[in-house]
Amino acid sequence: MAFHSYKGGTGKTSLVVNLGALYAKQGANVCILDYDFRAPSLNVLFKAKPKLWLNDYLDGRCEINDTIVDESTKYDLRGKLWVGFANPSLEALKDVMSKDRRWEVKALSKTLAGKKEIIEEKKVDYVIFDTSPGAQYSSINALAGADLVSLVMKADEFDLEGTKELSKGVYEALGRKSGVVLNKIPLEQIAASGGKEKFGKEIEANVGLPLVGLIPCMCELMAAGGKSIYTLDKPDHAFSRAIGEIADAMKVM
Amino acid sequence: MSNKSSEPAVVDLLRKLNRNLEVVSKKLDKLIEVERSGTRFSRPSVEVPEGTPLDVTTLLSLPDHLRKSALALSSLGEGTATDLSKETSRVRAVESDYLNQLVSMGLIKKKRKGRDVYFYIE
Repeated sequence: MAFHSYKGGTGKTSLVVNLGALYAKQGANVCILDYDFRAPSLNVLFKAKPKLWLNDYLDGRCEINDTIVDESTKYDLRGKLWVGFANPSLEALKDVMSKDRRWEVKALSKTLAGKKEIIEEKKVDYVIFDTSPGAQYSSINALAGADLVSLVMKADEFDLEGTKELSKGVYEALGRKSGVVLNKIPLEQIAASGGKEKFGKEIEANVGLPLVGLIPCMCELMAAGGKSIYTLDKPDHAFSRAIGEIADAMKVM
Repeated sequence: MSNKSSEPAVVDLLRKLNRNLEVVSKKLDKLIEVERSGTRFSRPSVEVPEGTPLDVTTLLSLPDHLRKSALALSSLGEGTATDLSKETSRVRAVESDYLNQLVSMGLIKKKRKGRDVYFYIE
């Protein structure tokens, strides 16, 4: 599965990490891939310093399974949690910006093949791509590699219009099963629409995609600043329960 | 008096006829699928400038049936029409036609290895 958004700051990374951790806690083998090569962040949350990055794999310097790190030992999980990290160094970011279309052809092929190799060698149940917002090559490569796409949005006007365009031009074109996760939604906005269900149906009708989950704005999450995996550390928190609902919904998409 | 000695022969003949009808039926299904796709002898429906690489932006500009073939080939790296038809769940003849359309558009290439033709992305 891939998590994507039209705009940045919608909470994709937090969703991906918490969802992946929850699936692993439930007993599944999960691999999260940081495909946000322009603003990598998973290495910060997991405090990782891997020997090889996903960048190295896409550049042909190693196999994909050489890049993924077993993070399971840090947590109390019934399944496995593997993570593939993107290189956050300035040199790597500049290198990403310089790639030409010929390289992108190979990157697409390697993304599709790499996912299969992870599933086969590591016996993974879920591969979850975290992507850059908007129409970036790496993001669309990840969407092409996913069976399910969740579009994460904040339901403001900027997000709505852009998401509709992405839905028509990219998600429909790729023919992937897609849904929307509404995140960081102010409680006032939900109340003004007449409640969670009505608000969700309005967005569904507007964007043309089924609603997978709705997470209200929670200031304490923003204050925590990505330091904690709530589904592991605070399983009874409202955010963790919302992630649980999204996890169940995605299993039947 | 009933002709019991000829009954097994008649049953055997009927079984052979049934098998032949099944083969003809499968061939008809294939022809119908090719006809419905409307692309058996057609030119590619999208003009692509020479030298265009098969990256995601090109993929998104392709019609659905060609995009499916192109994505499947991206995933495999190289393969015969039979290999690709297993990925796309389409009949081999249809898949071969779509792949040859992509070749004529200059987006993929093909080469012969022994008796087999392999399609690949350069």
